[in-house]
Amino acid sequence: MYKRNMYKAAALTLVGIMTLSFWGCGSGSTSDSSTEIVTDPAERGTVTVTLGRQTTANPKFPSGDSYEDNAYIRMTEEKLNIDIQDEFEAESGDDYNRQVSLALSAGSLPSMMKVASKDELTELYENELIADLTDVYDQYASDYIKGIYDSFDGRALANVTYDGKIMAIPATASDAGTSMCWVRSDWVESLGLTVDEDGDRCLTMDEVKDLARAFIDGNPEQADHPVGIAFNANLTSSSSDGTNTINAIAYALGAYPKLWYKDEAGNLTYGSVTPEMKEALSVIKSWYDEGVVDNQLGTRTWDDITSLLTNGQCGIIFGSWHIPDWLLNNVYTLNNKAVFTPYAVVSEEGKVNCTHANATGEFIVVSADFDHPEIAIQILNLFYDDMVNDSALLEEYPDVASYLNEGVDGTARPFNIEVKSNTYLLDEYACLKAALAGEGTKEEIPTAEERSNYDSIKAYQEGSGDVTGWCKIHSRTKGVDLLAYLTENDLYNWITPVYPETTDTMNTSWANLQTLEEENFIKIVTGAIDLDEGFDSFVSGWKAQGGETITGEIEAQLEQ
Amino acid sequence: MIDNKGTSARIRNAIIHLIVIILGLICLLPLINIVAISFSGSAAVTANKVGLLPVDFTTLAYSRIVSDSQFWRSFGISVIRVVLTLALNLVLVIPMSYAMTRKTSEFRFRNVYMNLLIFAMLFNGGMIPTYIVVKNLGLLNTIWALILPGAVPIFSVILMMNFFKGIPRALEEAAIVDGANPLQVLLHVMVPCAKPSIATISLFSVVGSWNDFFSGLIYMQKVKDYPIMTYIQSLSIDLQELVNNAASSSALENISELSNRNLNAAKIVVAVIPLLLIYPFLQKYLISGMTMGAVKE
Repeated sequence: MYKRNMYKAAALTLVGIMTLSFWGCGSGSTSDSSTEIVTDPAERGTVTVTLGRQTTANPKFPSGDSYEDNAYIRMTEEKLNIDIQDEFEAESGDDYNRQVSLALSAGSLPSMMKVASKDELTELYENELIADLTDVYDQYASDYIKGIYDSFDGRALANVTYDGKIMAIPATASDAGTSMCWVRSDWVESLGLTVDEDGDRCLTMDEVKDLARAFIDGNPEQADHPVGIAFNANLTSSSSDGTNTINAIAYALGAYPKLWYKDEAGNLTYGSVTPEMKEALSVIKSWYDEGVVDNQLGTRTWDDITSLLTNGQCGIIFGSWHIPDWLLNNVYTLNNKAVFTPYAVVSEEGKVNCTHANATGEFIVVSADFDHPEIAIQILNLFYDDMVNDSALLEEYPDVASYLNEGVDGTARPFNIEVKSNTYLLDEYACLKAALAGEGTKEEIPTAEERSNYDSIKAYQEGSGDVTGWCKIHSRTKGVDLLAYLTENDLYNWITPVYPETTDTMNTSWANLQTLEEENFIKIVTGAIDLDEGFDSFVSGWKAQGGETITGEIEAQLEQ
Repeated sequence: MIDNKGTSARIRNAIIHLIVIILGLICLLPLINIVAISFSGSAAVTANKVGLLPVDFTTLAYSRIVSDSQFWRSFGISVIRVVLTLALNLVLVIPMSYAMTRKTSEFRFRNVYMNLLIFAMLFNGGMIPTYIVVKNLGLLNTIWALILPGAVPIFSVILMMNFFKGIPRALEEAAIVDGANPLQVLLHVMVPCAKPSIATISLFSVVGSWNDFFSGLIYMQKVKDYPIMTYIQSLSIDLQELVNNAASSSALENISELSNRNLNAAKIVVAVIPLLLIYPFLQKYLISGMTMGAVKE
């Protein structure tokens, strides 16, 4: 009896606290803005802006600078006559999301902050905690910024529009491109092999397998246990360019794991439960059985795979165009004879299947209590238009220019988002390529990042042997170049997935379904369960445990 | 242990020793591996070549730590936190547990307080309500947010209570007959007798507050205010996680620069040293402290 009373008391207290905290949230949002507000930075007094900031473990600040006091922040404060204070800082990911939730439950939102999911944005909108940005966007956003958002065919702004109102500044995410097959071309040479005989920079699945076989048999670096191809334990990734995943193979077979899309008949489909996915698994399984795929598949960690490459045990890796910058660099550091060449994996029709990225997954929101929502748009203009297009600005703020050259992390900016056109990667590369070929000049390259890539590449070509140069040659003149080649020669077959909002059933069952999927895939490939039986029982299990309901819920979402 | 002469006893002893040695190695080897990694060249670390001995011996990682100002700032915050927490814990726990050992005839509401303690030990408000309390008290971003929520470790109170109960009543009565007031009894009779127990709860307090990273993540909203374990936690990077979340290429580049594991290993080693230094001084009390408190008279 005593115990029961205690529980009652505890439950009542909890309910009390929750009501209080909700009340705390709601009360702040009813502000009337009947008084005229001065918006011109030069004419009004200094406005204090509090921010929720994402941080990174390696911001690369020059000594003395910090998140609250750095060149970007100083420039913003001076240009817009504001005083920036951090309400909270936390590392991107769980830590940051936790701080956002805490701020929400304590009813104290910063003036502006980044939210990392559409669900959070919807929740903020429904609770009337964030400001309507429609008017300030129309009035203050520069034409250049508007042009960037327009390059996504309306997908970018549609994502943040609720009941006809723009409720957030969306970050843009351009298409990641295909998951490339990076091959050690110095091995190909030393073993006297021929890869890609027809020179179309594409490989079929069989060619990949034969090459892996040849690398194992040839073992050019006399490694103890040569490995053909290694993959992550969770095999697939929702991002088309998934690194260390089987995405390239699955895509070539017309399977788009972890993504929702409409199939040819117009039915909403989840890529991981399709017959094509089964075929992809059967291919990887046969490679595994033949010893072409790492026999420690499933237990090899990310770092272990990296060490396979650096030790010369493995010479093939699947990944995005930018892996030379942060993963293959380890290979070059240990062995500067290493050279990689990327190839695309093609389907039977000779096309490269690829999926469009979710145009916006991250947002900047402005608190409903904040009197100067236009400042958010002014910051947007300053960083994503002026800083890119106005060279006088960088002359005025040499600190900022040196930040760009030194590669100080993007988290140092007030908004840690990217706002770039859908085709920026290829556009910038076109300028870089022209400059490198002597058909253009360095000054014509639009961004500081690409200009410093130009310098590194030039220095490497002149024999510096510097690792950065090696990286940029690989990521730009090979990786992005392949993407450009695929686009120019119309080799892509684009699929536009549906990126649904989290549904009720997803909230309760999605984590389980993901585990079910990953466990079954790895079991099928390693032969722990039979391919036919295992896959079929996985599909029926997936449907029964919520997959079917979720599909229905997403269809309902799409009809709205 | 009583009869070491029999063969079966010897075999039994050998097996027990073997098990203890294996368990000891399981605890020790990862630590040695971390130390070895911290002294190895980063190339060897990336290639997974470091076992128990450093490969390509270098102290480069340590010289980089010396120049990491945030590391030392966080280190200092943690030292201050540990000292303050320890002092506050002892000041609160010792008198409290002494009072709680009084009979109900002397301390009428003893059982009420005891129930409150037990209740608070088993249930708490959860993360968000606690956060709101800390925030509304104005403690956010101050060192007190790391100290006050854990100022009275109830487990330590119970440990001390059991220990005090084990001290012969006669000692206390003798002091009272000599005219000592309750405070004098506590300070001059009980505390000196309870040294092993105090050492035990001190160690719990120090280890607990030094190793705790989570409260730093929640209550410290600026990276510059992080205590050392929170800072080190923020350095441990899961590249795979970042790649899956489609981080931008330049962000990945900056992160991967840091993910050289030997630097992180060196940071872990430096962060563990203070505990290793304290432990030998307290260890001799530790074992007796735990067991002596366990038996009541």
